[in-house]
Amino acid sequence: MRFSEVELGDDLPETHPDISMDKVRLFVKAAYMDFPRFTDHEFAKSEGLPGAIVPGVMSQGFLAAMIHQWAPGAKIHKLDTVFRTTMVVDTSATCRGAVTDLDEDHHRVEVDLTMLNHEGVTSVIGTATVELAD
Amino acid sequence: MILDLHTHSVRSDDGRAKVDNYCQWIRKKELPLDGFVLTEHRQYDDTSDYRDLEDQYGLLILKASEVETDYGHVLVFGVNEDLTRSFNFTRVDNHIGDVLTAARRCGAVAAPCHPGRPNVGLFAHYERKGPIDGVDLVEIYNGGSRPGEDEMSEAEADRFGYRGFGGSDSHIVSRIGYAATEFDDPIRSIEDLVSALQAGRCRARTFR
Amino acid sequence: MVDIDSLRRDWVGKEFHRADYTIKEQQVLDYAASCGDTDPRYSDPSNPDFEAHPTFIGCLGNTRDAMTPKDFPGLGRGRSIDGGKSVEIHGPIRPGDRLSARSEIADIYAKTGRSGTMVFIVHRLNFFNQNDEPVATVDLRQIKAVEG
Repeated sequence: MRFSEVELGDDLPETHPDISMDKVRLFVKAAYMDFPRFTDHEFAKSEGLPGAIVPGVMSQGFLAAMIHQWAPGAKIHKLDTVFRTTMVVDTSATCRGAVTDLDEDHHRVEVDLTMLNHEGVTSVIGTATVELAD
Repeated sequence: MILDLHTHSVRSDDGRAKVDNYCQWIRKKELPLDGFVLTEHRQYDDTSDYRDLEDQYGLLILKASEVETDYGHVLVFGVNEDLTRSFNFTRVDNHIGDVLTAARRCGAVAAPCHPGRPNVGLFAHYERKGPIDGVDLVEIYNGGSRPGEDEMSEAEADRFGYRGFGGSDSHIVSRIGYAATEFDDPIRSIEDLVSALQAGRCRARTFR
Repeated sequence: MVDIDSLRRDWVGKEFHRADYTIKEQQVLDYAASCGDTDPRYSDPSNPDFEAHPTFIGCLGNTRDAMTPKDFPGLGRGRSIDGGKSVEIHGPIRPGDRLSARSEIADIYAKTGRSGTMVFIVHRLNFFNQNDEPVATVDLRQIKAVEG
């Protein structure tokens, strides 16, 4: 995807990231976040959570991956997310994006980001500033 | 005439939408909106001037506020200097009676938003503390509601005889217009909006 | 209710901690793999532009020392919640880089939400590489539930 091919209002192709326990375990080790609330359903429930939860910052990684899938080689300058509710490990999730602004001078686009949990509830909203190739 | 009565821009702590991006999105997507109202959290923005954007896009852009009370969040339309001195907009524990009374005294309209939402919605507090006087208008359609919340808002508003309006509660650009309010008469200013809300010459619409 | 004005006055804008991190190649690879990002810049060490995934930096500095000044008052009840993150990238971060993170509290405010009255603490980490070049700014919004 090149800057010249993008239009205001374009939707990014939706993705369905893998939020299985295996992937979360791999993530928390790489991210220095190896806490049982992310990797142990029973422990998380004992803390009042509905189950082990996907780390918020991992959702940022999923959203960035969606951007890279849409525009390989794109350079993310900024990614800002608000975490609204939890996503439970071993369920399903959906990432969505839409182009909301184009900066012709710098070949950058603003992208709205949302992530929905398995019940269709918005768990993450955010925006990204992304530089695209000419 | 259709206005989205509940939107947030980057001026709100959790808002990520630029006002000009809202405008170009509405036009690009051909949304059935004639304008929108910025209802920033716990503040009234008396400095931003959107007249150039209004002219450029042919949209009405008004400013209001979303304040926080002991009965949940409340939108206040028609904020003026007198009202901003009547209670502390930044506090999260305003007494709803103070907000409703001050709004009425200052010629403004105070209307609870997302009343069907846990903790920050009016009806959750009614369940625990009983109903209060002075409410006659609530947001029955909110674009950020989870399943069941708008249904509860609508049913409870009907039970208490409250009129309803709609707003998207958008915090990002692409969510503007999920809910809105249709007016019988043209709205050209915040005074027109306040009059129409007081007269009940409007109805909630949802576009989700 | 917590005195937000007093907290802001005492704590916002003051650098209170520095920490160093060395970026490891396997960590960078595992991070991208776990997020399902197959872009070779983040998943292939032989790629000439191989670097850390842009959101990777948001994982560093999630420690008590880096986030909270030693004498910062305890707020509210229970565990804190992650309210969101902003990651701004100023330059590439590559395996082998030695980063220094400088911590400050950027903002403190209260609001009410579905789960009650909350205090938001915005922790800002400014990251610099071994050449003292800025590479990233990360804002972490930590939520503490408090009595309303």
